[in-house]
Amino acid sequence: MSQKSVTDMGKRMRFRENFIKYFSFSTIVILIIFFYSRHQMFLGPANLRTLLSDSAPLIIMAAGMTLVLLLGSIDLSMGAVCSVANVITVQILNGLGAQLGSPALGSVMALLVAVAFGAFAGLTLGCVHVKLKVPSFIASLGFMSLWQSVAYLITPAPVSVAKVMWGGVDWNKITFGVVGLPLILALGWVLVLYVFQSRTSFGRGLLAIGGNERASRIAGIPVDRTKIIVFMITGICAAIGGYFLAAKLRSSAPTVGVPFTLLIVASVALGGTALSGGRGSVLGTVLGVFTVSIIRNGLNFMRVDAYWQDIVFGIFVLGAVTISVDRSIRGVVIK
Amino acid sequence: MAAKQLAAMTITEEFAARVRQEGQRERIMRYAPMLVLFGMILFFVVVCGSAFASVSNMVAILNQLAIPLVVAIGLTFVIMLGGIDLSINGTVGMSCALLGVFVLNNRLPYDFGIFGIMIAVGASLSVGLLIGLIHVYLKVPSFLVSFAFMYICKGIGLLSYSGQPPTIIDPVLAELPKVSFLGIPFITWIALAVLLVCIFIQEYTAFGRYIYAVGTDETILRAVGVSVNKVKVMVFVLAGICFGIAGVLWGIRLGMGEVMVGDGLMFPAQAAVVVGGTSLSGGKGGVIHTIVGVLVMTVLANGLLLMGVNPYIKTGIEGLIILAAVALTVARGPKVISK
Amino acid sequence: MSIKERAICFSAKDIQKHYGATHALKGVDLEVREGEIVGLVGENGAGKSTLLKIMIGADDPDAGHMTMNGQPYEPKNPMDANRKGMGMVFQEQSLIVSLNVGQNLFFGYEKNFRKYGFINWPRMYREAQQVLEEVDVQNINPRKKVNALNFATRQMIEIAKVMNVTRHAGGAKCVILLDEPTSVLSEEETQNLFVQMRKIAARGHGVVFVSHRLDEVLEITDRIYVYKDGASVGAVETAKATEPMLYEMMVGRTTTSEYYQLDKQIKPSDEVVLEVKDLGLAGVFKDVNFKLHRGEVLGMCGVVGSGKEDICEVICGDQRPTAGEVLIRGKHTHFASPAKAREAGVLMIPKERLAEGIVRTLSVENNIAASNQELVSKGGFVSVARIRAQALRWIERLRIKTSGPKVLLMQLSGGNQQKTVFSRVLASECEILILNHPTRGVDVGAKEEIYGLIRDMMGEGKAVILLGDTLDECIGMSNRVLVMKDGLMTGEFYADANDKPSQVDVVSLMM
Repeated sequence: MSQKSVTDMGKRMRFRENFIKYFSFSTIVILIIFFYSRHQMFLGPANLRTLLSDSAPLIIMAAGMTLVLLLGSIDLSMGAVCSVANVITVQILNGLGAQLGSPALGSVMALLVAVAFGAFAGLTLGCVHVKLKVPSFIASLGFMSLWQSVAYLITPAPVSVAKVMWGGVDWNKITFGVVGLPLILALGWVLVLYVFQSRTSFGRGLLAIGGNERASRIAGIPVDRTKIIVFMITGICAAIGGYFLAAKLRSSAPTVGVPFTLLIVASVALGGTALSGGRGSVLGTVLGVFTVSIIRNGLNFMRVDAYWQDIVFGIFVLGAVTISVDRSIRGVVIK
Repeated sequence: MAAKQLAAMTITEEFAARVRQEGQRERIMRYAPMLVLFGMILFFVVVCGSAFASVSNMVAILNQLAIPLVVAIGLTFVIMLGGIDLSINGTVGMSCALLGVFVLNNRLPYDFGIFGIMIAVGASLSVGLLIGLIHVYLKVPSFLVSFAFMYICKGIGLLSYSGQPPTIIDPVLAELPKVSFLGIPFITWIALAVLLVCIFIQEYTAFGRYIYAVGTDETILRAVGVSVNKVKVMVFVLAGICFGIAGVLWGIRLGMGEVMVGDGLMFPAQAAVVVGGTSLSGGKGGVIHTIVGVLVMTVLANGLLLMGVNPYIKTGIEGLIILAAVALTVARGPKVISK
Repeated sequence: MSIKERAICFSAKDIQKHYGATHALKGVDLEVREGEIVGLVGENGAGKSTLLKIMIGADDPDAGHMTMNGQPYEPKNPMDANRKGMGMVFQEQSLIVSLNVGQNLFFGYEKNFRKYGFINWPRMYREAQQVLEEVDVQNINPRKKVNALNFATRQMIEIAKVMNVTRHAGGAKCVILLDEPTSVLSEEETQNLFVQMRKIAARGHGVVFVSHRLDEVLEITDRIYVYKDGASVGAVETAKATEPMLYEMMVGRTTTSEYYQLDKQIKPSDEVVLEVKDLGLAGVFKDVNFKLHRGEVLGMCGVVGSGKEDICEVICGDQRPTAGEVLIRGKHTHFASPAKAREAGVLMIPKERLAEGIVRTLSVENNIAASNQELVSKGGFVSVARIRAQALRWIERLRIKTSGPKVLLMQLSGGNQQKTVFSRVLASECEILILNHPTRGVDVGAKEEIYGLIRDMMGEGKAVILLGDTLDECIGMSNRVLVMKDGLMTGEFYADANDKPSQVDVVSLMM
């Protein structure tokens, strides 16, 4: 292969990667202008506050999913894990928290249990995927079904946080100007994950594994361990997402995580992470989340049928995947 | 095998022994689904007694079997290729919704009769075609394409009737669920017809042989000059048709066009296909295997219901079954890369 | 009528083929007469497989001319080649194991059996039976699935399939290509195969037999072509050929001592860093014993499939052995993965650079740092500055041509990619290195630099197991050479700088 075409290949790939980010960024700008021109209220403090704080759980979960997608795997069970964590949180808050008589303590306990569950869910998924070699999408599909049923078994119907326990969830309402505490926490968490991804040997292994798993293995990168740890982190992210949702809604529902699966994948894809693995970053995902949030918020604001959302995000996922797929290697069988 | 014996063998013999062992394992796996089915039937006969082993329950099982069977058959072909179709929830739901919208109904002014059915199946077919084309020509993994289309289809379905599912008042379609022949409901007959056609396609056409071949080794087909891409796209179209038919059958049974009917279908269908012995890596299994898989899943659901088990446990069990069946059939080894 | 007077069935003249920088075929000739069995021998990389691929239409030649039964022959694809009377039994079998025998025999020709849209299976199976009988396979039901059959039977079915498709060539004579057909067969099965080959030849068809087993080639063929480094050395009548004579023809020129920098070859110390005892991997290799010393280059020779590459994979932790043990500096080890092996100081440069050596979507600096994340860390966190500094150091030392450490690896040429792999492996500070074809696919200049690098490594007290790209390279670079054949060690040669073993001696133990 000539030197020139090789260079072109790299350029093309970088262009594609950035194209999605530019697309997301310009979408944000255009949509803000568009919605603002229709309704001055769109940029009013009330809506801005909703928009920003609503995106917190999505940021946390999408950041987790980013790590999995960097590996070239996927975790479709995040929504279900989020649901279980959500119902666990409210159950503990209403049960243990009430017994302890302290909303704050109950809230912390709930968070700990939810995170422990998330880590466990991630660990089992990771082990089934890595040790038994079950492809991640089908393994996570199986777990999605399992956790969904667990969520229903804990509480089949929505449950509200008892009024005396509101102290345990009211941190969600703290705001600094238009920026709420949940958003700050979520961005802080993203920063933690970014440091993990870029500054620890495990995290740096991620991109290598996603780019070429076989080469990474031969190079002596602990592939199996890295993968399992990443699935655990993702499980924890899903659980924290469920906890945040409980605080935001002041209630739990066994299906609360269901719509998130698509939103998470769409956010990561719009953030410039290649769904085939190896390229991308959790920071890009934040951009993707805001794109998704603005579209959702704007459509709600315009009172457009919610049914359009699935179509729009489905097409976005499809488009982003198609652009970011690496077609330069010939002879690879894609299944 | 004793280590001593192993040491005495030459390398060629060791190799042959390994191949034999794999063959043995495969033979055991071939009969495993049947054993599971009979074990399960035995269990439910013992536990539930006549409530399970009655004629009326058998008919009920046949009735429950129909739609999952049609869905699982469509999925079987895709999985035989080594691909997957996650769009089921969406395509079945969309087809059901479009049926409700385009035949005589109580909410929208369309009445295309038989053409309504064609529109429903045709829409689902086109989605299959699109999935196939994008997957094959833009080289996007099938699970991602179909994942996106699941949501797109759901959206289209919901949009078609803007939130309020229409009730079907077409006199023929409304009457059909009550029709039965030889004690077997009409819908089941349709499912059996689909089954027969698909067995025919699989066993008696070159296309059917090519599906196996693509799942086993694509390079061989290229060497012979068969278009792998065409086979793949056709399979996704076939799956789309099956999902469309399933949606129409749901619409007829329910008497309305409702997107949500698709929601419970994907897990049992995936589970049925892999339990039946169609391997996710492709090339193995087939429609006939899937019949056993669907029977396993239907009998399980039926038995659990009779035992009075919390219905939410059912989806959990389906998830575990998918995990177990895939883990048992998937290729392993230090060099296998699974994403 | 002697063979010489018979009509020429197939001829290829001056066939050339390039793969990127490699000149795989530098003008080879082949002639097959009617009723003749032609042997084709040569080392790995001599160009046999490439020529077969061109003959069967799986690849196009860059230059040259082929004729078949007197007509110009330019197959577009294997199916086209079949129609013109060329058939091939592939090394990696081309049967679809999930289908049955009959379906495999007529794969791609189903429309001949179609009636009202149905395939008439009974008729297909009847014809399959006939086709099988032609190659004396009588006890196999055409309805039997291929994966239930043993390899010898599968081979017979392949031959039957090839015979059948070439029948469509009409009355003209066919040529059947057999690529290493005996490698998985037992003695008895091999003899059965030879009976079939003779039968095919007796009907006036041509047969081309490619094998590493010279005794078999001498037994079955009428004439033998010898290839070397992509060019034909000559053809000899089998009756006049002997094994030593063929070895002599096969081996290449021994290169001058400067090329492999023999003046820099040092004597290894007595310290054993790696010892392998009775190592075995079921069905691949067994009873392998050797010691590797500090400062030693241990060459491993053998044809493809001799098990040498699997030994490397076992030592570097990629596969687990089924017998025997590996000792690192006298300590028993059971590596669960290459990561564990790396911790113990064992690392491999793999053969397939693109698939196993590099991450093409990562930058040069990140590729170099992939095997030593701990070394560039500070207080648990990876230091980007250290990674950059390390990359710059290696780029300078190995003269990697790149516009900077942040360039993606896919933008580098093959030689520079390989230098990056070397940088990574050297930066890992592992002591025991397995170099699996380290000069594969790199240009001459980069090759020389890599040789120099290996010599320097020895001075630093590392130990290397080398699988050379050519036999010459393997002998030239090594202190000691091990020879593998069919999964067993067949010989060991000391290769001091001034006393290298002859290639002929080594080859005679390889084949």
